[in-house]
Amino acid sequence: MSRESSPVLQAERLTKRYGRRTALDEVDLSVPRGRVIGLVGPNGAGKSTLLQLACGLLEPSAGSLRVLGSRPAADSAHLARVGFVAQDTPVYASYSVADHLRMGERLNPSWDRELAERRIRRAGLDPAQRAGGLSGGQRAQLALTVAAAKRPELLIFDEPAAALDPLARRGFLRDLLESVGELGAGAVLSSHLLGDIEQACDHLVVLCASRVQVAGDVRDLLAVHHRLTAPRDRLAAPPDGVEVIRIEHDGPHARAVVRSGADLRGLPGAVEPVTLEELVLAYMTRAAEDPARPATSRQETVR
Amino acid sequence: MIWHSWRQFRLQAFVALGVLAVACGYLLKLGLDIRDAHDAALARCGGEDCARALNEFQNRYRDTLLFLAAGLGLVLALIGTFWGAPLVARELENGTHRMVWNQSVTRRRWLAVKLLVTGLAAAVAAGAVSALLTWAASPVDEVSGDRFDTLLFGSRHIVPVSHALLAVVLGTVVGLLVRRTLPAMAITLVAFVAFQFLVPNVIRPHLLPAETTTLAMTADAINRARSLGDISGAPVVGGITLPQAPDAWISGTSPLLTPDGRPLSEARFNGCLDDPARTGAPGTFGDTAVCLGGLDLHLAVSYQPASRYWSFQGLETAFYLAVTALLAAFGLWRIRRLT
Repeated sequence: MSRESSPVLQAERLTKRYGRRTALDEVDLSVPRGRVIGLVGPNGAGKSTLLQLACGLLEPSAGSLRVLGSRPAADSAHLARVGFVAQDTPVYASYSVADHLRMGERLNPSWDRELAERRIRRAGLDPAQRAGGLSGGQRAQLALTVAAAKRPELLIFDEPAAALDPLARRGFLRDLLESVGELGAGAVLSSHLLGDIEQACDHLVVLCASRVQVAGDVRDLLAVHHRLTAPRDRLAAPPDGVEVIRIEHDGPHARAVVRSGADLRGLPGAVEPVTLEELVLAYMTRAAEDPARPATSRQETVR
Repeated sequence: MIWHSWRQFRLQAFVALGVLAVACGYLLKLGLDIRDAHDAALARCGGEDCARALNEFQNRYRDTLLFLAAGLGLVLALIGTFWGAPLVARELENGTHRMVWNQSVTRRRWLAVKLLVTGLAAAVAAGAVSALLTWAASPVDEVSGDRFDTLLFGSRHIVPVSHALLAVVLGTVVGLLVRRTLPAMAITLVAFVAFQFLVPNVIRPHLLPAETTTLAMTADAINRARSLGDISGAPVVGGITLPQAPDAWISGTSPLLTPDGRPLSEARFNGCLDDPARTGAPGTFGDTAVCLGGLDLHLAVSYQPASRYWSFQGLETAFYLAVTALLAAFGLWRIRRLT
């Protein structure tokens, strides 16, 4: 596979253990280029682990992960192609905002000074201010600027907006998307809040109980999942090609989130479109109720 | 990367520069004082008083110079503690490694440049202080002829530079393993001081195979020794010098041996100490010296001739540099696997 067409992220039986605890369990994943990927899942699902593996901060315990076709952080050239903003957006407290930009310029041959200065101005940051005195939102903006101004092909954000209040959060995500668009880069961002992901992403990866539950382009996912309301017994044995993800009983009727082809004929009962939130919750609930379910991510990846 | 390392190190460097300036000023003044005192002692050398004048001169500065040697050793330990230990540990503790390791610089290069910048600063500081201290103390060292002294040897010429480099690298590697600044600083301090005690006592004497000789313990020879016996009552002699090599470093002394090569019995030794025949002989140990001198005793002595001083400086420097290089290599290997 050539470098240009290789997937942004490609995981094969990727496993990460911390001592006895398994954070990622034989994850298979392949994400194509040119997407803004949302990684969603409850706290402790392994999102942070996956992203830190992707930027080379962690090493897999087993299996492999390739980012833009290479081992993560393989060399300085590969480091230049991937930007990373860590959870809680660490910055050097004793450095001024301008010092951070100088550091970025010195450590990245592809540094775009003009972009960095424009971002800092637009975010209303004072270049002379010490980073130790910045608010959470300002610090996130600074970290985003340092990551974006090296003009990476892929930007990775680990819960970038976690420390921000809802208003700052919306603004920050908008800035983030603007940066990604401006760079023409791909992006991965994780969040335990579906709202963030819905606002920003066109590709979704649901990570729960150390496994990928479902992955695919948002539009495709919405096209093959449906909300179904039908008499209970009709859903007990669903027709071929229809998979019940989650079922709720309500008297004689059952409401289910099902996955089937785009062909809706043959489905029992009333078929309605599903919201992204319902879809994600269905997978999360299923994973929470039956964490031992075998990893089925590959089959459920929608292309 | 050099700019980044320097920017992080800047404040510490300025503090060190201030301390260095004060230390250099003091050493300069001390060196001039010592030279004045030396000239004054030499001026009294016309008569028979020469040895006494020089001895007084040496005694006057001995404590100060020992204190300064110990002080330099402590400063090197502090360099390891305050420059080495936080170098990586602080980044890991504050999480900033997650930012800096994702710039277009590999972790290895990042660590190598940090070590180089900090190590260079430590080497320059230690070299400057050592050079000035060596210069300031040289008249005293010449008179006392104990350049191999456990404490003094490590504070003269090129050896302190290698000690400083080890301190920085040791601190950095400890920080890398411990990942927390304060514990890393404490461990570095203890480990480096322990190493500084270990090397002069255990390793330095074996850097070159020692010469051996026997020293006949006449009453005269016994009176030139510094001490006789110890608290266990063993027949030992302390603080001897060899007449044929007065400046040699005595690295090992046997107990008093009888002509057939066996240790003198404690009973006879203590007999001479406690109840010698009264002769009214002069000398440090008086009648005891006469009593022991009559037994035809000798010592087996191992020593390093004074002419090996520079070999020892070179070998100890090489030893420290080798340990430093090994530690640095380990650190550069470890940092890639750090998660």
